[in-house]
Amino acid sequence: MKTKLSFFILGLGLMFTVSCTKYPPASDRLLEDLAIITQYDTKINFNDYHTYSLPTSITKITDKDTTQITGSTVTAILDQIDKDMQSRGFLKVAATDKPDFGMSVVYYQNTYVYTYSYNYWYYPYYNWYYPYYPVYYSSYTAGMLNMDLVDLVKTDPVSQKLYVRWNAYIRGLLTGDHTNLEISNSVHQAFVQTPQIKTTAN
Amino acid sequence: MKKIFSIIILVVLSMSVMQAQESSTVGFTPSSYYTFSWNTTFPIGDLNKWVDQPGPAGFDFGGRYIIKNGLTAGFNIAWQRVSKIYDAQTYTIPDKGVAITARNYRFTWMVPFQAVIAYHLRPDRLISPYLGLGIGGDYMEHHLMIQEYDIYETCWDFSLTPEIGILAKFGQFSSWGALLAFNYKWTTNRIKIYETTSSDLQMLNLKVGIVLTVR
Repeated sequence: MKTKLSFFILGLGLMFTVSCTKYPPASDRLLEDLAIITQYDTKINFNDYHTYSLPTSITKITDKDTTQITGSTVTAILDQIDKDMQSRGFLKVAATDKPDFGMSVVYYQNTYVYTYSYNYWYYPYYNWYYPYYPVYYSSYTAGMLNMDLVDLVKTDPVSQKLYVRWNAYIRGLLTGDHTNLEISNSVHQAFVQTPQIKTTAN
Repeated sequence: MKKIFSIIILVVLSMSVMQAQESSTVGFTPSSYYTFSWNTTFPIGDLNKWVDQPGPAGFDFGGRYIIKNGLTAGFNIAWQRVSKIYDAQTYTIPDKGVAITARNYRFTWMVPFQAVIAYHLRPDRLISPYLGLGIGGDYMEHHLMIQEYDIYETCWDFSLTPEIGILAKFGQFSSWGALLAFNYKWTTNRIKIYETTSSDLQMLNLKVGIVLTVR
């Protein structure tokens, strides 16, 4: 009977092991993927706007400094924004020609440090000690591209601040490997998921 | 690992069939039997809209007490997961003008628990087919993971599970045997996460396992 019970328990354990599979931990796997998040101002009519201006470089903000960056990736991003805006009916003009929208493109690169600890007690033979809490440190560097479509026509009447009529965030740029084509496609997707950005005024 | 285990089960089932040709009756009267099996779930209906692929991660444990003339009553408790990764899914919150496109991971954990009644068509044979009905409930957790965000909801339900299966004992006087069963489950469970709405979740389950008969 004991042998049967042992086999029974062994079989149960084997079944449990076979049937249990790991699922991808969020921090290791899903963070490698690009995520595109957009939000537009639902109160305005984009048809009231006709022109836009685009910078020739991207602002890079890190923990240490702020710089202007250029290069093949920057060119790919700006070209894609250009293509999408023009396909939506907007006309590109120079910044000095009083455009209706100004496109701001910023790349954020931050290093996050976090701590975690496991609590455990130590019970020696005669008496017990206070708990020991070892602390572990880990870090990851995250990159995010932010595109803001800034309204250069209307300002807040009280504060005189400019309104952002549409913003887009592309997360996950520094986790995993992403080609220029993937990044351009993500920029394009930001426009695809906001079909409201279009004008027939031109 | 799973392939090796499946092959072992198939070999054992084949051995029991060969033994049945020599002597077809069981050499003792059992009082009860216990089963534990590897369970694969096939989502159908609204559950298939949530996850549209089979979930091989699952196990089932059951017990049956023999009442009389092939009629048995007992219980089943199980654990199951169905999951799938969907590339580039877009979710929107139209009144806020928000849209999110990302790879997302959908999965559902289930813990079914049921009272079962079954009828064995040839209880004194080495190979004994049966028909059963389980009545009980499930605890389910439905998860949608986008990057590090985990959006989930939990739901208890009522469920019915008609089942058809076959027990094959390893020998006339052996307490061990193999189980192969197939069931359909209907539940009152529902999923309501963002734009996904599913109700009355249904699935098919395939169970392959072993049986311990108690005299």
